[in-house]
Amino acid sequence: MTAPTAATALSAPGFPEAAVRRRARVGAGAGFPPSGEYGHAVYGAAEHDLLDTARLVPPVLLPGRLATLIELGQEPTHLDVDLRSVVGGFHSPLPMYISAFGSTAACADLALHVSCQAGAAGLPMVIGENVTPVNGYTREDGMPRSLLPRVRAYSQSLPDGCGGVVVQQSTEDADAEVWNQVYSDPAVEPLLATGRLGFELKVGQGAKPGLGGITVVDGESPRLDTQGFVLTDLVAENADAEGRRLRFGTPGTFTAEILRQQIRLMRNNYPRARVWVKLPPGRDIVEAVRVATDAGADAVTVDGAQGGTGWAPEVFLRAVGLPAGECLRQLAEHDLPVQVSGGMWEGSRVAKALAMGAVAVGLGRAALLAAEEDPKEGLTRLLDALTLELRLISAAMGKYVVGELSPEDLWFPG
Amino acid sequence: MSDLNPQRTSIADALPPPLPVHLTSERTLAALCIQQCILQSARRLLAARGFVELLAPILGPVTDPGSRGAKQVDVDYYGHRYKLMTSVILYKQAALLGFDKIFYVAPNVRLEPPDAASTGRHLAEFHQLDIEVANADRAEVMGLANDLVAAAVRDVCRTLPAELEQLGRDPGSLAHLLRERFAEMTHPAAVATLNGVGHPQSPDGEIDWEGERLLSLKQHQPFFITDYPKGSRGFYDRENAEDPGRLVNFDLLAPEGYGELCSGGEREHDYATVVTRMRETGENPAKYRWYLDMVRAGIPRSAGFGIGIERLTRYIGGLDAVWQAAAYPKVPGVESP
Repeated sequence: MTAPTAATALSAPGFPEAAVRRRARVGAGAGFPPSGEYGHAVYGAAEHDLLDTARLVPPVLLPGRLATLIELGQEPTHLDVDLRSVVGGFHSPLPMYISAFGSTAACADLALHVSCQAGAAGLPMVIGENVTPVNGYTREDGMPRSLLPRVRAYSQSLPDGCGGVVVQQSTEDADAEVWNQVYSDPAVEPLLATGRLGFELKVGQGAKPGLGGITVVDGESPRLDTQGFVLTDLVAENADAEGRRLRFGTPGTFTAEILRQQIRLMRNNYPRARVWVKLPPGRDIVEAVRVATDAGADAVTVDGAQGGTGWAPEVFLRAVGLPAGECLRQLAEHDLPVQVSGGMWEGSRVAKALAMGAVAVGLGRAALLAAEEDPKEGLTRLLDALTLELRLISAAMGKYVVGELSPEDLWFPG
Repeated sequence: MSDLNPQRTSIADALPPPLPVHLTSERTLAALCIQQCILQSARRLLAARGFVELLAPILGPVTDPGSRGAKQVDVDYYGHRYKLMTSVILYKQAALLGFDKIFYVAPNVRLEPPDAASTGRHLAEFHQLDIEVANADRAEVMGLANDLVAAAVRDVCRTLPAELEQLGRDPGSLAHLLRERFAEMTHPAAVATLNGVGHPQSPDGEIDWEGERLLSLKQHQPFFITDYPKGSRGFYDRENAEDPGRLVNFDLLAPEGYGELCSGGEREHDYATVVTRMRETGENPAKYRWYLDMVRAGIPRSAGFGIGIERLTRYIGGLDAVWQAAAYPKVPGVESP
């Protein structure tokens, strides 16, 4: 691998020369972020969509506020906005939940801090697929990133009457029987007994619609089970990447009938748990949401193309899948309420999503970054900021129940 | 949750005593003698009808995934993750490549959710009289299930009156099931009945535990529920082509609140259908490699069922809880010898 000398160098002005040269050096791995970043970064499309272009526009005349004024006997303030919501069958202080993070190192190490703070806030939280097969189930497995410690961390300061833990299982890790294991574990019984356990069927995700899980592994990965996974060797870009391989899971095949029956079977097999379904932002999102809703899911989440991930092909991040705002627009035409995730971190995007018909939004990368910034208080403070922004926006619209935000609160240029 | 018989529930919540106490109790001994009589009765009837008894496999790379929320037990098998049998269904179909009528007295292990301990009819380790018949339809095997239960009741009543008396079971309460065939109701009819008495029952799923108990309390002899919806069962029960979404299957329930004794049905045997049904039940077909290779090469059309032996013993003996019908009871969620 020698760099071309000045004498022989070919240049291609206006052409993505550097990218082509990287592909020529690195091969298949060049379609991904530099492999040295794996486990230390989270990715997501920077796609601008309706949620970015829309503006929140309060009215001048506020008959809704008058009603609240009459009820209170004084001018209402933003503190009078009720943000409490039912999120996928759980009571939540905010119309939000913590999205799933999976097994990659970046997520796993911070997940415990996120779990503690989300639990203390009473915010519903999803635990990602692949955690049990890759990181184990209990701490006794010698795996500090395993599933059960996250549940314990979440539960230890969970207030009564709100919150809930939702455990994901994808087609990939169905073999590990994660749901059966959780459902039959006496340690989880307190959550089950109070109606605060759920299971999420992961059909796909926004960062790589149509694909299954993609991870970077090395030969020493202790729980690597190559059965059923495609492995591609990576050319090392640096010493860290020596011997690493890309591991591709399959997304699992779904038809309308397969999706419908899987949801029904979840309801049948886990009658004491809530059933969530996470869909990728596909072109048939309206039909998929309708099937999942009609089959009795307690929550259907659409992860927009801006959804975060620990690892994805750059072409998928850049060019594949519907943006979150477009999903909401299409679904609103059919009156299909969903939860939505993808690029959520501040109040205006959250408020716009709610106004476009979302019942709740998921925080992913924002929660991870906040927990890394301050492992004890970071997420709590992020939620404080979101709470204030949502209260202010909702009050400005003259709406004192956050669920009343609606399309009339938005203006789309052009 | 309504409870028509709270006393029964509290008794069912009682846990087994220490094993030496349990194994020397007169009631346990009476129950186990009844169980032996049931097995002898079944073997006699099946032998007379040309069935071959096979010894049951204990572990394999895959097992029956179709049990509600129960975890399978993983076993390290020379570095591979194998499973203890939750049922022998896959091997029953395989055995029909050789014999037309087979049965096992098969041990099964299912790590049921701990709340199953309160039903009075779940054990983590139990046995099934597991039967499969090549080229049979549902009606034939339902008839066989009826005959087996009736024969067991007749033989127990005839040969073990003292044991029944020891357990406080009045043989008269069993007598009328010998006179007529067991009644049948469809799953939609069962759902309508339950909703009619104020018990909300999903039309898309299994009849829940309380629902089964309510239906069972209304009956005086065992009865069949047929035509369960697809989302309630494993991939192997055959879907009705004339009524998509409904399975050509059945449960046999005991009366007086004892509930489910037996599940069965016609089996899928078409390769493409089996793969599709696996996906509908959230399974990864890749792990069923040996089974799918066999199905692809061709297996006979069949029907069959499994009768819970401890459950049948409990019903015939009139026991409060199913663990009383096991020599070494393992109640879900409870550490046991």
